[in-house]
Amino acid sequence: MVPPPLLDVQSQSSNGDALHPPPRSQKQMTKAERRELQERQRAAKAAKATTAAPNGVNGKHAGIKPGSSAAMSNAPSPRRASRASDAPTRPSSLSVSRPTRDSRVPQTPHPAPSSDKARGLRIFAHFGLPKPVSVAKGEIHPTIVRLALQFSNFKITGANARCIATLIAFKQVIQDYTTPPNNTLSRHLMTHLSPQISHLVAARPMSVTMGNAIRQLKLEISGSDIDLPEQDAKDALCHKIDHYIRDRIIIADQVIRDTAVSKIKDGDVILTYARSSVVEKVLLGAHEEGRCFSVIVVDSRPMLEGKKLLSILASAGIQCTYLLLPALGSIINEVSTVLIGAHSIHSNGAVFSRAGSALVAMMAKQHSVPVVVCCETYKFSEGVQLDSFTKNELAPIGSMFSSDRHARSQDASAFQNQPNLEVLNPLYDLTPPSCITAVVTEVGVIPPNSMSSIPLALGRF
Amino acid sequence: MFELVQALNDDAEELKKRSPDSISLNAGCELFIAFVTLFPHESDSFAELKTELVEQGRKYASDAISFREKIAELTLGFIKDDSMILTHSYSRVVMKALLHAHKTKRISVYVTEARPRGLGLKTYEALTSAGIPCTIVLDSAVAYVMDRVDFVLVGSEAVVESGGLINAVGSNQMAIIAKAASKPFYALAESYKFHRLFPLSQYDLPTHNPTILSFPTLPQYPTFLETDFARGTPNVPPSAENEIRTSKQSLPTAEMKMNAEQISRNPSVDYTRPDLISLVFSDVGILTPEGVSQYLVGMFAG
Repeated sequence: MVPPPLLDVQSQSSNGDALHPPPRSQKQMTKAERRELQERQRAAKAAKATTAAPNGVNGKHAGIKPGSSAAMSNAPSPRRASRASDAPTRPSSLSVSRPTRDSRVPQTPHPAPSSDKARGLRIFAHFGLPKPVSVAKGEIHPTIVRLALQFSNFKITGANARCIATLIAFKQVIQDYTTPPNNTLSRHLMTHLSPQISHLVAARPMSVTMGNAIRQLKLEISGSDIDLPEQDAKDALCHKIDHYIRDRIIIADQVIRDTAVSKIKDGDVILTYARSSVVEKVLLGAHEEGRCFSVIVVDSRPMLEGKKLLSILASAGIQCTYLLLPALGSIINEVSTVLIGAHSIHSNGAVFSRAGSALVAMMAKQHSVPVVVCCETYKFSEGVQLDSFTKNELAPIGSMFSSDRHARSQDASAFQNQPNLEVLNPLYDLTPPSCITAVVTEVGVIPPNSMSSIPLALGRF
Repeated sequence: MFELVQALNDDAEELKKRSPDSISLNAGCELFIAFVTLFPHESDSFAELKTELVEQGRKYASDAISFREKIAELTLGFIKDDSMILTHSYSRVVMKALLHAHKTKRISVYVTEARPRGLGLKTYEALTSAGIPCTIVLDSAVAYVMDRVDFVLVGSEAVVESGGLINAVGSNQMAIIAKAASKPFYALAESYKFHRLFPLSQYDLPTHNPTILSFPTLPQYPTFLETDFARGTPNVPPSAENEIRTSKQSLPTAEMKMNAEQISRNPSVDYTRPDLISLVFSDVGILTPEGVSQYLVGMFAG
């Protein structure tokens, strides 16, 4: 990455400058020419800033304008200011540090590390950091507001949990809804639900499970009978929602549990990663059947979800071992099967799951340990995903996030005030189909390469 | 209706218990039970349904004989003139395919001995009597011969949901060596051998039991060890020792073979992973291992 990013970042400024395509590539210019180009652009920008509406940040920049010799060192400052203002998506915990950072602007930090920083942010910029859920646009039902807060604070995590919570909230919304005059429920309810959905998505990006469930709900709404009295139509919709939860999630989990339990034999050592609701049910079910097996729970920071699973399994009387992901290599030889859950499965057979699952699967494959993914069919996504990078979600660092109280306070202090440090926590990663042995769904045990046969099986329902 | 299914299931269990190699039997039973339960039947009364089921069953059984001909025809397209084929043990569908090909093309066949049952010899006899040049190779010589052959053709006990193959022990070995030598590995299987089983590993097969690959308890008397080693007969009482020593001297060759108890600690079938199999030839068509799973899900789901 040779060309200095200064130019590109200036184009990100809140003035909305159009990107200046350099007339010649940066590499072709000599150093002196580059500096001249920078100077010109900086001057042009400063001129625009003084004429533009006074924007606190830029005004600061205008006031700081030093002599031309300090041009290089000052280039970071407009960049920093502009970045601070153009990233309103920073979580509230970081906003506290913003004024302190701006006040440091007159100092002259080194351009090189901060340019690395700008580059780093740009790589993951398409994920977008979650916004603090503040003012709701339009009339948002209080249940939805509460749900959005729960999502953004990670009080409800896990694909199944989020989907069920969303559907239950929508049931409430539907019950409280009244059709305005000269409108039909089947046509208007969708427009009523759309802002609610957007509010939830603003809190946290929609999961594949929520997406599939909402799509099904829309289908049911548009298919609802026009002649039905309103309360009946609403009740019918709520029943459909209940049936969806019951058939695609609860009963599916039971079928998966029965199928997967048959794969657990006496004396097995089962390894699982983080916390999957389905795998938890499978392990508890196998224990109830009287199978004699032990479990290794692999966990990772910062979420440390495995601790909850560990306490549930241990209190049920299952023999458990707990370790962190880096220690996986030392125990993988003793494992007989790996059981993991999924956030979503894709038609090329890839499994999108909690960050770290891909590592577990690859390591297991290397040691010829079968990897079994337990996943309901409603998590199936028609799209094809090839890497963890194009579609992912970053978790905010900071106080709300870690389930471990000690880690929380450490995180807060260590990562807040570093100018050259940015913390990235992707929540999901992609396990390629070659590392997976089998996917247990409620329509059967399917090899990863045949994942596209799931819609075929579903078509029979 | 439910009672009928219950009765069918019970009888299937009974059949499986009686038969030593139950996997393909299992597949057939499950297919019939699935046919009874899943497919829509148009009949007015139960008696009519019963006759229809029996009729369909008999028709399927008679059609099944023709499946092998269909498969032989499909395989013919993949056999070039002067092909060198490697096969394992004895399989009726492979025999049919080879004899069919022999009518129009020149082929030569290597067949493995397939211990302990030694069925490879049966194949050898049948092929040479038909005029096909054939040589038996040791099971341990598969890697030695692999570079010479053009492709590998095996039959099957069952084709499983993962797209993998369950066949006589030695097939997995052959498939791994074929993959390493970049030779195609073709499996021939009638469609009633497609099974909903999904083994995660060799030890996840239904035929696997704790005696297989277990270690024997060591015998008490050191003299037993000597006689065991020389003659291969276990637990010979001391009184018979002298007799055995004298009879040992009259053995023509000092060839050593495993005794029955040692053989019982060995598997009879093994599981070949789908990524080692190139194509599966069946009466429903030529499928890739992934296609097998799609076919099975389509047949049995719902």
